[in-house]
Amino acid sequence: MTLRLTQIARILIGIWMTGVVLAMFLWIPQYEGLGNAGRIMILHVPTAWVSVLAFAVSAWYSAMYLWRGQAVDDDRALAAAECGMLFTILATVTGAIFSQVVWGVYWNWDPRQTSIFVLMLIYAALFALRAAIEPKEQQRKLSAVFSLFAFVTVPFLIFVAPRMADSTLHPNCAFAPNSSCDGITLRQGSIGLLGDRKVQLLALEEQGDTVVARVQVSEPGLTSEAVLEPTFDLTQGESVVEPTFPGLRYRLVVQSVDPANGTVLLNIHAPGTGILANQRTLVTFLASLGGFTALFFWIFSIRTSLLGVAWLLEQREVAHL
Amino acid sequence: MKLLFQATWAVLRKDLRSELRTRYALNALLLFAVSAATAVSLGVGPLGSGSIAVSVQAALLWVALLFAALNGLARSFVQEEERRTSLALRLTAPPLAVYLGKLLFNLVLLALLDLVTTLLFLVFVRVSIGNIGLFIALLLLGSVSLVTATTLIAAIIARASFKSGLFAVLAFPLLVPVLVVVIQGTALALRGDPWSAGLPMLQLLLAYIVVTFVASSMLFPVVWEA
Repeated sequence: MTLRLTQIARILIGIWMTGVVLAMFLWIPQYEGLGNAGRIMILHVPTAWVSVLAFAVSAWYSAMYLWRGQAVDDDRALAAAECGMLFTILATVTGAIFSQVVWGVYWNWDPRQTSIFVLMLIYAALFALRAAIEPKEQQRKLSAVFSLFAFVTVPFLIFVAPRMADSTLHPNCAFAPNSSCDGITLRQGSIGLLGDRKVQLLALEEQGDTVVARVQVSEPGLTSEAVLEPTFDLTQGESVVEPTFPGLRYRLVVQSVDPANGTVLLNIHAPGTGILANQRTLVTFLASLGGFTALFFWIFSIRTSLLGVAWLLEQREVAHL
Repeated sequence: MKLLFQATWAVLRKDLRSELRTRYALNALLLFAVSAATAVSLGVGPLGSGSIAVSVQAALLWVALLFAALNGLARSFVQEEERRTSLALRLTAPPLAVYLGKLLFNLVLLALLDLVTTLLFLVFVRVSIGNIGLFIALLLLGSVSLVTATTLIAAIIARASFKSGLFAVLAFPLLVPVLVVVIQGTALALRGDPWSAGLPMLQLLLAYIVVTFVASSMLFPVVWEA
């Protein structure tokens, strides 16, 4: 019965994921500013989600193992950790490729990059620990303890990681509607930092209803400079011209103007902000999210039963001896 | 409760006495600290007190402390396994007392290490400390976080083969939050920023200490009796 179910699940997931991949390349529109590289988001975000889910599942079954002491719970924890490692690698690699294509850097120590890197280290440590302990019972118990202990410290990363880099290239505003991308407020002549670029507001000119901000942007290390002129429509209350940073795909945006004080709020719009506004993209994205989650649980259940069989065989061998 | 304190105190005293006999962990830690400070001093020399200089100094100080700690802190559990005394300890003291005793022993070791490393950095690397109170607070809380996070791991790896390598591998990912916070905080303290600037970092370290301490003391009996 279970065998039949996994067979059916395999076929269903196969068809589903094929549909997602086809839709990803053929059905959804190209996102303006990202080109075809933007399509990788359909894979990147769900794999990242699954790697976090797997970590939580692994910790849950570790706790269950310590609670009930049944070998199957430890097998589940190990299976989840193995899937998690797989998906963590997928998420990191797809993200790095995208980052290189769009922003010109493979790695930036974004908060999310930091978190997933630490997650990868934890998974690797877990496997190293399992490999280093011989008696099966001890191996199960100690790795369950480590898994739980690691799970407890991970939330601190969420507070700490944003301190590591001033900027994030991940478009936070796209996926969490209420999150804020802060930006900086500048008055004429003052300087500030957007990402790793130094920006200086040279002048603020009102031309009728639109305000033109002349902003000098300097590369890190002041190797080169450029003057960008984003504009803002005072009557509509929205930005009009959004020039891209030289050599990068993200744009400089005037978010608001305070004419009384002569200040402007400047911000970065990463490409991808609002990527899910398109209906087709949203549907494909959600389908991919569901598909990857199902895929995870499918691999997870197969791997768990394999581990169980391996354990039974091992015990039988011991009994023969 | 009183019994627990007595047992803890006994474990601590036993560890201190046996450490003073061989001075194995002590020598390893202190020589590591001396080598690290010398290497840093020879490599980068006095850096002055610019904003980049204080960040570099803070990072180097904590890297030295971290690796010295990862070198020596596993010792107290590993030696119980190597000398095959863990069974006797298991029979004579409750698990929590063993955990607390080893935790305190590691704290003593690390406090000594802090003192030596900081003095060497002050002398060799000519680090000047702007806000001494904040610096000491960060050093203390940072060290306590190192100890609360690694004592349980030391107990785990004492059962494994390839112990010393594994200790760093298991401990590092858990210590990333502490390191980031404490390095940035120390840079502020070296630069002479007021207490208010360092307060969020102290709070975070304190929270980390409480969480890891509670989790370790709950999980330790499982490890100890595994």
